[in-house]
Parts: sequence; structure tokens; C-alpha cells
Amino acid sequence: MNRLTETLANLKQQNKKALVAYLVAGDPDIETTIDLMHLFVEAGVDAIEIGVPFTDPIAEGPVIQRAHDRALKNNISLKDIYSMVEIFRNKDSSTPLILMGYLNTFMFHKKIIEENKNSAIDSILVVDIPGELNLNDYGIKSSSINTISLISPTTKQDRIESIAKNSSGFVYYVTLRGVTGASNLDSNEISNNVNEIKKHASVPTLAGFGIKSASDASLLSKHSDGIIIGSSIVQMIEQNSVTKEFDRIREYITEIKQAIS
Amino acid sequence: MKTNKQNLPDKNGFYGDFGGKFVPETLMYALEQLETTYTKLKDNNEFKEKFYSDLSEFVGRPSPLYFAERLTKHYGTGSIWLKREDLNHTGAHKINNTIGQILLAKYMGKKRIIAETGAGQHGVATAAVAARLGLECHIYMGSEDVERQSLNVYRIKLLGAHVHAVNSGSATLKDALNEALRDWVTNVDNTYYIIGSVTGPHPYPMIVRDFNSVVGEELISQSKELFSAMPDAIVACVGGGSNAMGAFYPFISMNETRLIGVEAGGEGVETGEHAAPLNDGIPGVLHGALSYLMQDEKGQVKETKSVSAGLDYPGVGPEHSWLKDSGRAEYVAVSDDEALRAFHEVSELEGIIPALETAHAFAYLDILMKEYDSSANIIVNLSGRGDKDINTVAEIDGIKL
Ligand SMILES: Cc1ncc(COP(=O)(O)O)c(C=O)c1O
Repeated sequence: MNRLTETLANLKQQNKKALVAYLVAGDPDIETTIDLMHLFVEAGVDAIEIGVPFTDPIAEGPVIQRAHDRALKNNISLKDIYSMVEIFRNKDSSTPLILMGYLNTFMFHKKIIEENKNSAIDSILVVDIPGELNLNDYGIKSSSINTISLISPTTKQDRIESIAKNSSGFVYYVTLRGVTGASNLDSNEISNNVNEIKKHASVPTLAGFGIKSASDASLLSKHSDGIIIGSSIVQMIEQNSVTKEFDRIREYITEIKQAIS
Repeated sequence: MKTNKQNLPDKNGFYGDFGGKFVPETLMYALEQLETTYTKLKDNNEFKEKFYSDLSEFVGRPSPLYFAERLTKHYGTGSIWLKREDLNHTGAHKINNTIGQILLAKYMGKKRIIAETGAGQHGVATAAVAARLGLECHIYMGSEDVERQSLNVYRIKLLGAHVHAVNSGSATLKDALNEALRDWVTNVDNTYYIIGSVTGPHPYPMIVRDFNSVVGEELISQSKELFSAMPDAIVACVGGGSNAMGAFYPFISMNETRLIGVEAGGEGVETGEHAAPLNDGIPGVLHGALSYLMQDEKGQVKETKSVSAGLDYPGVGPEHSWLKDSGRAEYVAVSDDEALRAFHEVSELEGIIPALETAHAFAYLDILMKEYDSSANIIVNLSGRGDKDINTVAEIDGIKL
């Protein structure tokens, strides 16, 4: 069974909320990314979302854009990311891994994705395709990978239904109008929309974009099956990319984990 | 050949294999709304009357089709005709589509206007139409372009709009588009994004094409009137491709007219340092559309090089990709040096200083005119005037202003 599907099902059974953490592959370098991924898991992260660096990440705010730029300076390609994941898997064969990126990269590297050696990757989230569609519609066929679709506050009712049905890992509810790292959460709107999604989705609904503090996390986890944290972690990676002392991230994840438990 | 122009784009926004809507989910609803509004209004008589009367009274249309006597003599073969988009208010073809789009914005009740710009012509055109309706207006522009098109930056500000310099990536047009899209994702409820070329997600390439097709429509009647035939060829520069698309579109089903797009060859296509995706790119997705795209061996979008800010873009409108693959249009490239030579030549021979973008179309006449005899009629789409480029050209020529 797909690790992501299994992990989310187990959490649900235990009545627990999922914590997904994001970083950009190769920021500040591949070795550090691998260390950080293990650190995430030790600190209580249930699944890792790996950002695939792209020159034109239109859905990202400044913090994650800078992370993409740092990774691109190291010339990281999707091929390098699959090699990186292979090394990670030597020590950790159970944590679900999700690739998050832009369609151009995935279309360009179709073969690597279809091969998905040892089923190392569990899921792919393409930021810039309509929610009803998935990689299959772009000629990328892989049975070992499931698709996560996005639903946003502006998604209309009739589309919520078809997108929710199309999503196979979880439904990613984008909590705000804006790019990653923005901060204009509207808790009423979020709870209404997530309830609507849940009517149609057979998979869990997780909420992400704009979650920073433990109180954001606590609030959003009440409405959803789990949360995704990106920009605030990426910012801490940026601040400590020279010393590579990441204790602050460990503390932060622990704090968030408590807030959603 | 499948050239029935009524068919494209299809209902999903595709021109053959190209086009589509590749945007973050947050924008999907806005694109649907825009398409619904446009579909409803485009055949509405009142809307059309308003569009054409604004083009006449505010822009000064129709623009002349002008016989370039000395340029014609210079080549000594066919007659060269210039479609004078440089005479439009604000100085380029960009105003045609902004006139149409601002009417859509008004109809949709949007209070805030955003746009990206490279050469600054689209920024000026957008600022002008926004000022006319008293709408708040924000223009995104790569910081490198802010530098090399400083005259237009000041014009935009004089027109009451805000200019946001974009420092990310290559700090040119592509990055300005990224930033405009991010703004739109954030402010989608009250904001209309006036895209400046036949690029971006569906329905933009269609909308911008349709509004700018006034150019090609005028060409049909002017050709009949002035030389009693359809032109043998239409030559236009291609950045995103709006001036070319507007001139080409009404001619797509007339196979006797060659359609020739000229891309920015920068240092030369063979050097890789250029902005010519139709000549040296592979299909990929950027800014919401699948089209020819300049990419490196890792699937990253390549930085481009061109002396002309308006052509300095790694992508191209999806309908051009389709016209290329279907064989209906031809796409060539000329280098910076060739464009600069043509810039001076046209200024001296015709008394018209063309935009550096347009100079690329002129430069290709060197090759094209050899293929014709004196019975031929060749139209160059003179997409804009060169006042904005004076600083750039002076600097290249080593002259301090
Ligand atoms: C005068 C002029 N011509 C051409 C262009 C290129 O755009 P497009 O290819 O969309 O016509 C520009 C863009 O700024 C321009 O200002």
C-alpha cells in the first residue's frame, strides 16, 4: 500500500491529526536536505513535502522563492532529487514523501517519474494544473504515485466535488487567497469550505499555506485532518543555512505537533 | 491543413497541442469568470460599438497603411508597406487590447488593475486606460527593464500608476509576469489582470488576439484599396506575439499571404544567447500555457538575451506554436546587430524611428526582399515607435545624452 494513504489512514483511526512539513530539495545543499528530512521525522512530522526547485514558482511567496533560488544555484534537477530520496530511504523506508512542484519540471522528467525506482516517492502535487486533472492527463503514468489536488477559497461548489473525487492522497485545502507564506487566514471560511470538501472526498483533507504559529496550527487542525507547514520552516532553514544548527526547527515542529494533538 | 480560424482555441483553450490553463487553483475561478464575461460581450453590439469608438477617438484608429517609398527603392524589388501602429496613442499596438480589456474589467466591476510590462509600452497603455476610468493601477516591471526603459517608467508614473520593480530571477519580463500572477492570486476578488500579449492561460491568448485583430482587419480593406490584392507577405516581430497575432489572424485562411514572425536572435541563435523559442526551444509550460519555451537540459526556464526589452521573453503565445507546427506561419530570427542596423536604416530612409522590437521585423527584409520581384506587396507591421529606445541605442553607439 502507498505509504501516504496508509499513514493518513492510521492517524485517522487513532483520531490524530497529520503534520506535513515542507522544504526545498537542495536548500542549502542536498546533504543538509537529507539531514533535515530525518530531523523532521524525529521531531514528529508524519509526511514530508519536497519542493522541486523551479525558475518560475508563481505560487510561492518571497521566502520559498529564495529557497528555490538557493537550490537552483546548486543546479539541482529532478534526477538529483530522486538520488537524494534513495539515500534518505536507506535509513527511512516508512515516511511518506510527496513531491511538490510545477508541471514543466514533471513533463520534462516524465521517465524518471514513471520509473519511480523502489516506489521511493508516494505522491506528487502539481501546483499549476486544474484540480480535476492529474499527471495521467499529461501523459505521465505511474501506478505507485498518487495525486494530491488543491482546492482554494475561490473554488466553486461544483468543482469542489469533482476535484475532491480526483484526489487520491489527500485533498490540499489552500487556506487563503495568496502565495505561500502570506498571512490572511479566515477561520470561518476555512471551516465552511473544509466541511464542504469532506462531503465529497474519500481521502482526508489537509490545510496549508499561511500557517505560522502554534495557534494557527491548533485552529486549522480543528477544521481539518491535518496541516501542512512550509514558509516558516523554510525561513528557519534560511536563517541557519551557514551554521547548519537546526535545533530551532526541532523545537518548532515539536511545538506545532503539541498544538494539533 | 486545418486552418479554420473559427475553431481555435477549443473549449479547453487549446490550439492543437498548445495553450491550456496551467495556473494555481485559486485563479481557476477568475479565468472562468473572465471567459464567461468575454463570451457574453464579444458579440454584443453595444460592447462592440464602445470598443470601436474608443479605438477611433482615444487611440486614433484606423492606423494608416503607408507606402515606404525609399525603403522600397533601397531593396529594389517588391513594394514595402508599413502598418503604422507607431502612430497610435501611447505609441504602440498594445493600446488596442488594453482598450478592450479595460472594458471587460469595468463590466466585471473590478476596481484594481494590474499588468506586467517589458518595454514599458504595455505598462503605459494600461496606465492610460486605467487613468481614463479612474481605476487604481499597478505595473510590474523587471528591474533591468526599469533601467533600460526609464522613459516609459516615468510615463507610467505620470499617468498615475504605481511601478513595482521586480528583482527576482532575470529581472526582466518573465519575472514581471511571475510577480503579476502572484499579485493576482492574492487580490483576485477585486483585481483585473490585463495581460500584455497573446500569452498566459486561456482565455487571455484568445482575448488579446481578438482585440488586436483590428489591425489585420484594417489590413484587409487597406490592401484592397491601395493595391487591389491581398499582400504577398506580412512581417511582424514576435515577443509574446500580440502584434504579430493581431496582424496575422484575419489572414489565417488566406493561404496566398505568407505570415512571417521574427524573433529576437540576440547574439545569434547558434550561440544560445537569444530570445527565440520558436527557433530554438522545446514545448513546455510557463505562465499558464503550454507552448514553445527556452529550457535548459534540466527543464529549467533559460534566461534570455535581447537588446529589445519587449522581445526578451523565453516563451511565446500558444497560437504561434500552433501556427509554426501546422506550417501556416514561418518563424525566423535576427540578431541584435541586425536589428540595430535596421533601426538606423529605417530612421534615415523613412523618417520614422521604429521601436527596437519592430526593428527586428525590418531587419528580416534583407533576406525576404530577395525572394520577390516588383509585383510583390510586403507589409511590415510597424508595431511601435522608438522614442523609448533612444537611451539604449545612444549608449550602444557610445553617445552621452
Ligand atoms: C513596439 C513593440 N512591439 C512589439 C512588442 C512585443 O510584444 P508582442 O510580441 O506581444 O507584440 C512590444 C512589447 O513590449 C512592443 O512594445
